[in-house]
Amino acid sequence: MKIVIIGASAAGITAAKTIKALDQATEVVVISKESIIHSRCMLHKYLDQERDEQSVSFVPQDFFEANAITWLKNTRVLGLNTEMKTLKTDGNQEISYDKLLIATGAAYFIPPVPGLREATNVYGFRDLKDAQLLDAECRTAKNAVVIGAGLVGMDAAVALLKRGLNVTVIEMMDGIMGLQLDEKSAQTYQTLFEGQGASFLLSEKVVSVDLDKAHRGHLIHLASGKTVPADFIVVAAGVRPSYDFLEGTAIQTNRGITVGDDMRTNIQDVYAAGDVTGLSGIWPNAMKQGKIAATNMLGGSALYTDRYALKNTANFYGLTTLSLGNINPEPEENCDVSIRQDHKNYQKIVSKDGVILGVIFQGDIRNTGFWQYLIKNKINVSGIDKSIFDLSYADFYGVDKETGEYHYAV
Amino acid sequence: MKRIIIDREKCDGCLNCNVACISAHQEGSNFYTVNLQGVDSETRNFIKFDSKTGYTPIFCRHCDEPECVLSCMSGALEKDPETGHVQYDETKCAACFMCVMNCPYGVLKPDTRTRTKLIKCDFCEDKKDGPSCVAACPKKAIEVKEVSL
Repeated sequence: MKIVIIGASAAGITAAKTIKALDQATEVVVISKESIIHSRCMLHKYLDQERDEQSVSFVPQDFFEANAITWLKNTRVLGLNTEMKTLKTDGNQEISYDKLLIATGAAYFIPPVPGLREATNVYGFRDLKDAQLLDAECRTAKNAVVIGAGLVGMDAAVALLKRGLNVTVIEMMDGIMGLQLDEKSAQTYQTLFEGQGASFLLSEKVVSVDLDKAHRGHLIHLASGKTVPADFIVVAAGVRPSYDFLEGTAIQTNRGITVGDDMRTNIQDVYAAGDVTGLSGIWPNAMKQGKIAATNMLGGSALYTDRYALKNTANFYGLTTLSLGNINPEPEENCDVSIRQDHKNYQKIVSKDGVILGVIFQGDIRNTGFWQYLIKNKINVSGIDKSIFDLSYADFYGVDKETGEYHYAV
Repeated sequence: MKRIIIDREKCDGCLNCNVACISAHQEGSNFYTVNLQGVDSETRNFIKFDSKTGYTPIFCRHCDEPECVLSCMSGALEKDPETGHVQYDETKCAACFMCVMNCPYGVLKPDTRTRTKLIKCDFCEDKKDGPSCVAACPKKAIEVKEVSL
């Protein structure tokens, strides 16, 4: 059997690895537009020059050779024929498959702001190529502007600050990392960034960008009337799943390729996994989807049921944070909000009727992994007679006497 | 694979396993010279106490389906196909701590001092007598046994 995988990031690589671990004899072909395998979560470490092209990889350098996987790098898929089971590449190659996994991920989105899309010095921060283009800009630029203060925008800001640039971050929401943090925990990070020289323009919207003769954006106009000078601009305003090449096929999409719990699409022998499904935008979930798709392509019956995706961690300037679930409840949700803090830590637990809905742990995140289980499985903790902050896995402890594996006794 | 099998009933919470773990990962120290106040004083195993349920030993399971490995974006965490143990390569780790977030049993933690690396059981793979915690347990509440995957 021949399995073709399009995409070589979390989902694609995990699938390739899983297939080869389960069945050496299956032929695996990975097609990627990239020529260097890299982890997008480490791009800021490339841009700040802590790592090079080799050390932003998340697989060993001999991954493809060692696993006997064919890798077509620098290759884009242009079209797909699901009846003939073939695909066409930009190198005019026609490649056949018995089973196909689409793991093409997502691409950054540049908002339709006058000047922004036209400018030649506006970049996303998604792939190694983006980081390389930014690296070149950093060599001559003084003023960098980041649009969007989500995790990706803040990753970019960290690297640009380390490169010694003046960094201004523009954000529509009234705090940074608005999806992961509340006012208090966001302010703590903002102060740390400001201490490194960053400036923030919050509750601000970019309305236009002035271009110079070379079509480089050099002045950003905000809705408030303020202007910000820029030598280059990083846009971190979200991503869109990448599946343009499906045009003309009957593969169902809805802001992502539609898949069942088994990661199959509506078309026989075509699977999808990772950000291209629109199910989640985080690395661990993409890996899991890739593994499940691989198992099923080989005739297994794995299901993607662990769909929880409201989770993230941050680690900036030595301050770590875990954020899970609903951390900014609206007043009408009538949630209980418990807060515990000291000079190094801020902890917030949101619950309702004994069920945890969300947590923020900023500072010490030791041994906090169990919270995700409680939240996603809606475990009622009201019967446990202790402070909610003192809960641990020990309160739900179950162990298999034979295998020694843990489980939750709830 | 070999796994540390836990008999919770036998544990009397002496924390010798904690001290042994700290010592095993503190260069040049032994049970008598271990510096528990040191910045590198980090245990990889935990005993929780509750007045109703008593002592609960929480040790890395080197799970059959390790969530930590499936959340690692740098390739630093891998389940060794030979030993079955989940090993951590500090040089690859980018300290995102998604593994800490995804460990269902809350076993993992960042290092307290720098938050640049993960503190995780390595099964004392470099020690010929096996896990130091097991050797230090006076109650045989933890024992290394062969389990089938």
